[in-house]
Amino acid sequence: MNWDAFLAFVRGPLFQVALLIFIAGMAYRLFRVVFLGWRRDRVPASGSKAGGVAKSYAKGILIWPFIPWVRNTFRRNPVIYLGGGLFHLGLFTVIFLGTAHMLVWKSLLGFGWPTLPLPIVDLMAVVGITAMLVLLVFRLTNPVMKLITGPAEWLNWLFVFLPMITGYVLTHHLFFRYEVTFSLHMLAIDVMLIWIPFSRISHFMFYFFSRTIHGIEFGKRAVSP
Amino acid sequence: MAEKTMYEHLRDEGLSRRDFLKACGLLAAAMGLSSAPPVAASGLPAHLSRGPSPARMVARAMQARPRVPVIWLEFQDCAGCTEALTRSHSPTLVDLVLTKITIEYHETLAAAAGYQLEENKQKAMAQYHGQYVLVVEGSIPTGAYEAFCTVGGRTALEQLKEAAAGAAAVIATGNCAAFGGLPKASPDPTSAKGVWEIITDKPVVNISGCPAIPEVFTGTLANVLIFGAPPELDSLNRPKPFYAQTVHDRCLRRAFYEAGKYANSFDDEGARKGYCLYKLGCKGPTTYNACASLKWDGGLSFPIQSGHPCLGCSQPGFWDGGGFYQGQSAPLDRPEVVMAAAAGAVGLAAGAGVAVANRSQKKSAGTEE
Amino acid sequence: MQSQTAMNTFVKETGGWVAAQLEACTRCGMCAEACHFYQGTGNPEYTPVWKVELLRRAYEQRFSPFGKLKVALGISKPITDEDLQHWSTIIYEACTVCNKCALVCPMGIDLGTLIHDVRAATAEAGVVPADLMAAVNKQVEEGSPLGVTDDVFESRLEFVQDEWEVDLPIDKQGAETLVVFSSIEIMKFPANLAAIARILNAAGENWTLSTKAREVVNFGFYEGSHEHTKLFLSRVFEGAKELGVKRIVVTECGHAYDAMRWTSYNLMEVPKGIEITHIVALMGDYVRTGRIKLKKGAYNNGTITFHDACKIQRKGGHIKEPREILGVLAPESFKEMTPNREEAVCCGGGGGVIAIKEADPIRYAAFQLKINQMTAVGAKTVAMSCSNCRLQFLDGIQHFKYDVKVRGLAEMVAEALEEE
Repeated sequence: MNWDAFLAFVRGPLFQVALLIFIAGMAYRLFRVVFLGWRRDRVPASGSKAGGVAKSYAKGILIWPFIPWVRNTFRRNPVIYLGGGLFHLGLFTVIFLGTAHMLVWKSLLGFGWPTLPLPIVDLMAVVGITAMLVLLVFRLTNPVMKLITGPAEWLNWLFVFLPMITGYVLTHHLFFRYEVTFSLHMLAIDVMLIWIPFSRISHFMFYFFSRTIHGIEFGKRAVSP
Repeated sequence: MAEKTMYEHLRDEGLSRRDFLKACGLLAAAMGLSSAPPVAASGLPAHLSRGPSPARMVARAMQARPRVPVIWLEFQDCAGCTEALTRSHSPTLVDLVLTKITIEYHETLAAAAGYQLEENKQKAMAQYHGQYVLVVEGSIPTGAYEAFCTVGGRTALEQLKEAAAGAAAVIATGNCAAFGGLPKASPDPTSAKGVWEIITDKPVVNISGCPAIPEVFTGTLANVLIFGAPPELDSLNRPKPFYAQTVHDRCLRRAFYEAGKYANSFDDEGARKGYCLYKLGCKGPTTYNACASLKWDGGLSFPIQSGHPCLGCSQPGFWDGGGFYQGQSAPLDRPEVVMAAAAGAVGLAAGAGVAVANRSQKKSAGTEE
Repeated sequence: MQSQTAMNTFVKETGGWVAAQLEACTRCGMCAEACHFYQGTGNPEYTPVWKVELLRRAYEQRFSPFGKLKVALGISKPITDEDLQHWSTIIYEACTVCNKCALVCPMGIDLGTLIHDVRAATAEAGVVPADLMAAVNKQVEEGSPLGVTDDVFESRLEFVQDEWEVDLPIDKQGAETLVVFSSIEIMKFPANLAAIARILNAAGENWTLSTKAREVVNFGFYEGSHEHTKLFLSRVFEGAKELGVKRIVVTECGHAYDAMRWTSYNLMEVPKGIEITHIVALMGDYVRTGRIKLKKGAYNNGTITFHDACKIQRKGGHIKEPREILGVLAPESFKEMTPNREEAVCCGGGGGVIAIKEADPIRYAAFQLKINQMTAVGAKTVAMSCSNCRLQFLDGIQHFKYDVKVRGLAEMVAEALEEE
């Protein structure tokens, strides 16, 4: 089996299978929670729930140091805050505004959008990878992180890190031939796609649950979430 | 009677020594020879590696070597590689090699036809047994489909095996002969194979491409003629001097790739400005060939330069490597909506099933909801 | 088996709300920095999400097929009685359920509520710190954790009437507003009773106290037991129904307000047509509408700051009112601590923590944060609207020998009332 055949395999059948497992797995995770039963909240509200939800998302997405409550937490724990924030910023820039990735979306969704020049995307990739390394060291050394980290969390880190690092090696044509790193990159993505539904990386879906609940709970009390 | 060397033949053709040396220089360059390999081949100790120039090495070899007979077989092909060679715009170079080798058998070029030609072939193979170079163009149908390609009533497979047995070297030219090419494209109706999948007892040099670049073919052939052996090969048996780098690596539009400037369609502003064709499906990053450096038609241009994305024609299975105009990073195929919906439905069913089980569990725990 | 009972409760508690939030956690550890107990002690076990660990484990083991597989393979550890014992100390002694963690969580997980759910399980299993349990039992038997029986209640009210010369309407049929005090106010801050009575009288409120709904404190809610919480709530609702009031005003008690205003509706049948509100909201309303007049700048001498109680401000929603009142009382000397309002740092005594002797060291460690905040603004006086906080402040400043005046907001308002 040569690398071209392997690349065709990881870009083709394996990717398809991984994508289908991903879809099935995420649907499973979603409906397992959705159909669990939701208690009606009978508490009379004194504030606007919808307003709370809106604010909750605004704050949840724009968690920047200039918001006072974040500043307070930020001061005590800049590593998670900056590391986590920059990781996500890097990740989203690369997977949505990198040309190669946009073409993936285009092939899946049927439409594309303008992308950023490679040097900028590359910088964001470096930011994301660096943030991941910093977070790893932090997770290895901080007593709180050590306590709340189980085997699954290490795997999460690994399965997210591998696509990122192979992607970086790929764009820079480092160490191996292009199709080799391309294959490894695709393989890492396939593995990650299969892993996501069984892990906490699926938080991107439940984020919308917890943020909404948070907004409702604070909004109904007329408190800024 | 001692055989004439190539140099002697060329002199007879009226080529001056000066012209001969110039041609040798060109050939050496086309072969991608730097000072190192020929010097190593000359048997000089390593510390004397700054020896004669590559051109002189070639000249010396050309002066000493006899002409080499060539048997050229065509199977499931389009004769495109032959066309490319004969219409090459590097006349000196191609002349040098093509007219000075003796092509003993070539269906397309031969004046003779039918039994006469086949008879000739048998004679040549017997006469030059163990000396001739076998060139194959086109893929070979195998298995149940072996009979799908026959010449003179004998199958391609049979003829290939027969010709290869007495060959000093085997060169597969074009993607079809190297990797199966178009005939092998899904659904591969003839179970087509490349030469190196069939001939395993001697080295097969793959000059892949659709067609093979004439200068790459002649360069490789010259290497065989001159040094008696093909150049160093990569993992796909392609000569490293021509296939060591990707088209992307040497592409004249590479700067636009780095800068994120792309043509979004074939007639937009970006296309007119000569921006990178990655978004239009260029396979340059995974394609190993000399297009971007040697170019075509005597260095005039190559597909990307003239505005078309690279199809990846020197790579195995390039017909099935995703759409020609689909970005390379995109997955090969999109899952069917039906399949995706089915996967979603499976997930939904499983999730709902577990949720129902959990609810009954909650009920038996005495939940108040 | 305690763990069986706890597990059963976890299963009961876990609906869509809980499950969705448990699924959302990414183990980022950000919540640790929100917790005053973690900040004060540096003990990683006080990380809010770690307090929820048992609930998470129960969810994984009972609701997920893969979790069940993990149990079978020995990767996911079953919940043992020792675990319950261990977590009991963490969730009762090192958590005031102040819910600041929810504000820090990037996913917005309502950790306070989840921790309360863990308490429900430990309460069901009977693994509750002895001091807290004793207080709960006392409230079940005598009607009050601080021993406010009928006789005591009567004599305390008499004492307040004599001492401060205020009218305290008791069991007044046809009154619109029922005021329920906490036992801390009745026993430790009787001046609060007098102050609130004077404010209500000055506003011309048609109000009453009830001998049946004597006090609003809810140690069942601290404990996390639904049964006890409902029992104590129902006592107040019964009293309110008997008197036919339209409104219940909870006085300066945070947990009780949370239980009554924000939890009772989902736990039990709340009598229709009765509004539940807090005295701070009422005072704010009076000041805004001019029903009571306050001496402007009555507290302008010496820096005064306001401590936001987790259950009245952050979880109760009455953040604006104290500021409006202090804007009148001390427009020049009022200074905010940082962080404040919904982001405020908890006093460290709420959630039943102050009732548990074993929690004293970490309770003081957490209070250190409050001292730092007060020092930063140079507060001479600190006002608050929760008597549980006030108890913690008084104990804390005594422990640290810190010089600050601790005041209840109602008392300050009462003192500044403009006589007609």
